[in-house]
Amino acid sequence: MSLHLRMPRRGLSLSLLLAVMTFASTLVPVPVAAHGERATEPYIRTRTVHWYDVTWSTQQVGVNETVTVEGKFHLFTDWPDAASKPELAFLSNATPGAVMTRVESYINDMPAQQSVSQLEVGGDYSFKLVMAGRVPGRWHLHPVLSVHGAGPIVGPGHWVEVTGSAADYKLPITTMTGEVIDDLQHYGVARLQLWQAGYALIAVAWIFWWIRRPLIVPRWNAIRKGREDLLVTRTDDRVAAAMLVLVLVVVIFGYHHATQKYEYVVPLQAGSFKTKPLPLPPPEVAVQMKDATYDVPGRSLRLDVEVTNQSDSPMRLGEFTTANLRFLNKSLAVALAGVDPSFPKDLVAGSGLKLSDDSPIAPGETRTMRIEATDAAWEIERLVSFLTNVDSRVGGMLFFFDAQGQRHMVEVFGPIIPVFTQLQLAQRH
Amino acid sequence: MTENDRAILKVSELSPQAIGWSRTLDLLIIVVAAFLIWSVSHISFLLLGGDWDFFIDWKDRQYWILIIPITTIIMAASFQAIFWNLFRLPIGATASLLLLLLGTWIVRYHSWEGLAYFPISLVVPGTCLMGALVLDAILVLSRSWLVTGMFGATLYGLLFYPANWTYMAGYFQPVMNMGDMTSVADLIGYVFPRAGTPEYIRIIERGTLRTFGDTPTWVSAFFAAFVCIFLYYLFWGLGVLACNARFFPVGERFKSLYGAKGAKDQTAGGPVTQPGASS
Repeated sequence: MSLHLRMPRRGLSLSLLLAVMTFASTLVPVPVAAHGERATEPYIRTRTVHWYDVTWSTQQVGVNETVTVEGKFHLFTDWPDAASKPELAFLSNATPGAVMTRVESYINDMPAQQSVSQLEVGGDYSFKLVMAGRVPGRWHLHPVLSVHGAGPIVGPGHWVEVTGSAADYKLPITTMTGEVIDDLQHYGVARLQLWQAGYALIAVAWIFWWIRRPLIVPRWNAIRKGREDLLVTRTDDRVAAAMLVLVLVVVIFGYHHATQKYEYVVPLQAGSFKTKPLPLPPPEVAVQMKDATYDVPGRSLRLDVEVTNQSDSPMRLGEFTTANLRFLNKSLAVALAGVDPSFPKDLVAGSGLKLSDDSPIAPGETRTMRIEATDAAWEIERLVSFLTNVDSRVGGMLFFFDAQGQRHMVEVFGPIIPVFTQLQLAQRH
Repeated sequence: MTENDRAILKVSELSPQAIGWSRTLDLLIIVVAAFLIWSVSHISFLLLGGDWDFFIDWKDRQYWILIIPITTIIMAASFQAIFWNLFRLPIGATASLLLLLLGTWIVRYHSWEGLAYFPISLVVPGTCLMGALVLDAILVLSRSWLVTGMFGATLYGLLFYPANWTYMAGYFQPVMNMGDMTSVADLIGYVFPRAGTPEYIRIIERGTLRTFGDTPTWVSAFFAAFVCIFLYYLFWGLGVLACNARFFPVGERFKSLYGAKGAKDQTAGGPVTQPGASS
């Protein structure tokens, strides 16, 4: 019986301890490093914005020092119907919070502080992000194109180490009226807090004026007995009138003072800018997808495509890229050389690209070939859920190279069929 | 204790011992009520006002001035009605806005700066506290919810902009950035990135409401005041409804549903064994 009595008490103690620990844990801010770059649905990542030629100027910066991320992005022609077209977009970056600050950003060399409107599907655009270190740590830095109605479409990410002390971060600016702001991250805070503390002090005084006297039960009883006259007195009236006057005087004085001090102000800037796609020559290769399967146990994407070389130079396929993953033809040196040393290794598939026929495609030749992109990255990057998408399609970019090493980019897209067993695969092919 | 306090206690007919206990009860209720008002006001505001108060580069001349007063007056009016009708205490609006301001600052430091590394200059809040004081003061002077709604709610909506412009005007100085003129507030929003909050998502400065003095500011402030009047009456009514809440009549069916039916008889017959309890 005694055990029976002790157990609930122990259980209660443990529950209380757990509750206290849970509550205490919420008091200590614990930042997270991830920002969900693999959470976006594959149909968005494979068929909307394709990032390429992305470079990071450095992987280590001190506080206040800058790192530049630049490259290009292609807006995919087979843009899914489920996501809004890029009528309005904003070039941003993904980091876990404001650990790095945005110094400059450009699309096609145009300042991109505002959103960009009327981007053209099928077009290519250049971008540049200049970021400065603010909070020491190792941060995953991505370019992001946020598309209105489609959400943030994240580009490839690279770890960037910020060294030094956060206390050293400063962002001084001078306004067009000549006011020197020592540090933008603290600007105006002390003044604002001082005024709001003053407002709060008046409010506390008002509340205290009322709660210092007998409160709940006595006042409730007095109302029930019809003696409301005792609860709000002539003195209370005078205090209320004084409070009314005080508030109006403080607000009018403060407003007048602010308008005198800041004579020239501007509203928030809400416009957008427009820019045309880069003037790239049309690709001299035509690609038609004939069949596409994803081998679930083999983690392999197989594309049967019909390629027509429309140039006067032999062509070879060097790379297939989708959702920031790069599959390279390891037998083609110019394709391997296209991977910048700063590009994250985890986004370059180790097994590369396997082709049914890797010989050069002669000028004017039309060839049907099989492209196999096999890697565990399909799973790691959470890309296989394209099998459950509403339109069950896949897309990507193929990079062909001619005899002079010139790159020809072409889109490839079409429906995809999942195969779950080797027997099923054999029956299909 | 004043003469008036003694008169109230006399009218309430509490025994000397009960008077002592009632003061303890006052203190307990103040603490509990503070947390209740705090949480309800804060949640309501987060759901309705949200982004316009989160970031400095959302505080525009149109929607910010309109939305913040009309989303905060609803709880101010409700709590004012409850405190006034039950206890003739004209502190409901002030308490709601004061605790909202306190809670907002805690969140700004704990979550916004602590978790997301946003600088405080990016997330400074506005407040309707001065309007709330006016609302309570006019209720005392008029003793009438009708008059308070007419004049107090109007001033509540009107005062928001000037009371906050006092310390926020500096954020709207012009500054050059990458060859474009912008405001300091815009620059703060640009420099300190919010990955999930692209620029275009801001709902600011829409339409052509710039007829008076080349700015929509006072038009928005007067419209906010106009809307505040009606919302004040609506949510005052809700507060009155809350004052009239009664315990739900507990019938036999309800008791049976929760296993309470017959418990008295069993208790009288001996100890009740809880299901699943071991002896």
